[in-house]
Amino acid sequence: MVVEKIAVIALYTTIAMFVGILFMGVGRKIVARVHNRVGPPVYQGFIDIAKLLTKKTNISHGWIYDLALLFSMTGIMLTILFLPIGGVKLLSMEGDAFLVLYLLAIPALGFALGAGASGNPNAAIGVMRALVMMLSYELPFVITLIALMIYYDTSSIAQIVEMQHAKWAIMIPPFVLAAAVADMALQGMLMEAPFDISTAPHEIASGPMAEFGGKHLGALMIYKAGTIVAYTTLFVDLFLGGGVVMHDGSVLAYLANFAVWFILIFLVFTLSLLINTSFPRFRIEQAFKFYWKYEALLAFISLIWVYLMVIS
Amino acid sequence: MLELIFAVLLIAAFATLFIKSGRIAAIISLIASAMPLIAVVDWANDFGIKAFSFGVENSMDFPIAGITMHLSITSFAWFFAVMVFSLLPPIFLFSYSFFEKNNGFFPFMLFLITAVFGILLASDFLTFFFFWELMAASSFILVCISRDKKAIMSYLAFSVLSAVLILVGIALLYSQSGTLLFSDIVLNADKVTVSAIILMVAGFAVKSALMPLHAWAPFVYSKADEPFVAFLSGGLSKVGYYGMFFVLFALPGAKILHQYFNSGVATYLLAVIGAISAFIGTLLAFMEDDLRKLLAYSSIAQLGYIAVGFGIGSSLAMAGALFQAFNHAFFKSVLFLVAGAVAYRTGKWKISELGGVGYKMPFTFMAALFAIFALAAIPITSGFAAKWLLYEAAVSNKYIFITPIMLIAGVGAFLYSFRILYGVFLGENRHDDIKEAPLPMIAGMFLLVLPLIIFLIFPGYMLDMMHSALVDAGIGTISHTNYVIRTGMASYNTLAVVIGMMVVMIPAFLIYVLRKQKKVDFKDNFLAGEPYEFYGYISMHAANNFYKPIEDVIMPYLRKGAISFYTALYNAMGRVSDASRKIYTGLSQDYTIYIIIFFFIIVGWLIW
Repeated sequence: MVVEKIAVIALYTTIAMFVGILFMGVGRKIVARVHNRVGPPVYQGFIDIAKLLTKKTNISHGWIYDLALLFSMTGIMLTILFLPIGGVKLLSMEGDAFLVLYLLAIPALGFALGAGASGNPNAAIGVMRALVMMLSYELPFVITLIALMIYYDTSSIAQIVEMQHAKWAIMIPPFVLAAAVADMALQGMLMEAPFDISTAPHEIASGPMAEFGGKHLGALMIYKAGTIVAYTTLFVDLFLGGGVVMHDGSVLAYLANFAVWFILIFLVFTLSLLINTSFPRFRIEQAFKFYWKYEALLAFISLIWVYLMVIS
Repeated sequence: MLELIFAVLLIAAFATLFIKSGRIAAIISLIASAMPLIAVVDWANDFGIKAFSFGVENSMDFPIAGITMHLSITSFAWFFAVMVFSLLPPIFLFSYSFFEKNNGFFPFMLFLITAVFGILLASDFLTFFFFWELMAASSFILVCISRDKKAIMSYLAFSVLSAVLILVGIALLYSQSGTLLFSDIVLNADKVTVSAIILMVAGFAVKSALMPLHAWAPFVYSKADEPFVAFLSGGLSKVGYYGMFFVLFALPGAKILHQYFNSGVATYLLAVIGAISAFIGTLLAFMEDDLRKLLAYSSIAQLGYIAVGFGIGSSLAMAGALFQAFNHAFFKSVLFLVAGAVAYRTGKWKISELGGVGYKMPFTFMAALFAIFALAAIPITSGFAAKWLLYEAAVSNKYIFITPIMLIAGVGAFLYSFRILYGVFLGENRHDDIKEAPLPMIAGMFLLVLPLIIFLIFPGYMLDMMHSALVDAGIGTISHTNYVIRTGMASYNTLAVVIGMMVVMIPAFLIYVLRKQKKVDFKDNFLAGEPYEFYGYISMHAANNFYKPIEDVIMPYLRKGAISFYTALYNAMGRVSDASRKIYTGLSQDYTIYIIIFFFIIVGWLIW
């Protein structure tokens, strides 16, 4: 039983990482098609990572610089363990949404430490922007999260997914608003335009990535792939029922749920890419005001709506 | 043996008054400060935790000058004693290297310890207030060592305010219940009025730097000696919360407030004040350039969480609050000691003047890193479990205002954490000529980091420790095993997190096996080997004005804060006093007119 569970967890985590790397290539293809270019093949992500990881890296900026990215990769994989994927709970019964929120900070802080250790001022500015973005988008996001928790009376993501078996959260009126808010927060989480401020290539030389190369950059790409899967899965779990369509424990149900989960995170990711290609970049204070003024207000309206629904 | 402990502490305090060498004084203080810790460890047996037995009795009546001082240990005092007294030996170990000469730190620190020991043991309000004043006086002298006028004046003013509020509260309690003994007041709790409770809570809130009464903290924390500040922030603020815990839950003030207002509005207000403290403290913290002021604001923020727990008052929230108090005691002491160690080697406090210290002081950096993980509640230290309990408590009570504010303050903690890590320890290497901190300093810091790691894996031990305190205060306890905490909403398995982390680290490590590399200094890197010409120009440092964009947005809303209010009050009082001085003109005609006016007023009053 335990061995079986460990095997399932290992399988799902590995698949999730591969899906993430695939999505990076697909994303580039979609952006290219919107730009009316041919674009790289969809497996470009695998090629890039394989190339970077097999490169010989001669340069290091100290042990913090090396270990920080290890920390990043570990953190993002750990986060995926605590998210239900296609209704398969993995470890998500052992923690809850607050734990996931804080686990997501591990890779971010690790990345920030590595960038800080490189000593490049551009990296520091990029990290500053990323952290300010984090402060910005977390406010509307946690408010929608609390609305969900109050409605379903649980803070466990696995429980929230289970409660959505009959009806996805997005079909309930206040959560339409909440999902719209959370989707814009997701745009910031994925660092896509108009919130690609922290990695702005033309302003600060790709920001935190400025000094990374070779294996370090390869590790960073794996981390980036992980974040795509983690954040889109978080959104799908919270609002779209985690992609669960069949509730019996048969093998077919596993496959169907997995397929629906894959389609849903792909749709969420594509939506984010389409917004990305249609908008120019915000300045950091504009992004901050956007999230804390309008988004937070909308999120708070949905929270109060849910609160009134629950207490009545 | 209880008398012996007090005697040893006082004798050590008087002895260190006459010792010039900081080294010898530190050793004496270290030994003396271990005495109350031994007593605390011994008393663990009384509260369901197996420990060593030294045979220290746990109560004493001490007649002095016709008054009897009643001293005895209770379960909640014991919990606070554990956290306060285990801080002291590491802090004195740190001070062994920190103080070349004994500048008065050691004797008054020992008086302070005596006072705190007395406060935690007191079982009547007279004893409590006596030791409270001893604590205020000795900590005031420790602040005076800094010779900074702002720090001294603000600490004095707020200490007096706190003492007055508490004294009036005690007087009201005495007049209403007719006794000063804790046990008798609890029996007569139905006679106690709301005003006494509110006054005492406000008095204790000053010591714990709750938001409108926090104005002394940034000045004092940024000027006094680091080992003292570590204890002030880590230990003494918890004594304030001990008083609050006692008044609200043992007396029980929360119930009296609830009956008076016919709803939980008063305690809810305390929770809101705590949450706003956490939020605004965090915002102010990441905009601060002075490392010690940053830590001071972060202290105010982190202590705000405890008030949230006390305000909510459910078993979940109280467990979270006490856990947070314990964590804060340790990680904030470590951070202030780290600041002390950095200043000991570099002599600088401003983040924009520091940088690259972590490469030369790796062990100090490691200690700071763990403390910061605990501060930011990253789930690889025990800091997360405490915040998690508080969030769970707030959500399960459907507090839609407190919960998001607390969560966003938690995110804000990453911002100032990174400012410390980048500005002080990483980034531009400006300190090629410094050495690692001396061994006693490192040992002191790592001893304080240790509990943060132990209670990460076994948060159940911590919940066991506070078990009898919560049960005795009538709050109840929450279901847990050694490493799983369960609430009505979810469960948190620390072992799953730790083991999961170790397991996924293996593939991450395999992907990432590195060959031998050449270490490249940052100067050869983005400067491309050019000489570091702008050395010393602070404005060129990336850590200078680090959060400028967000500062420009937020600062206009925070300019009219509490500190500017107190400054305005101070100036207004100066003007009023100045105006009233003008009636002394020195002319006899004026004085004659005053007498005549006064005469007419008296006559008019008599006729009317």
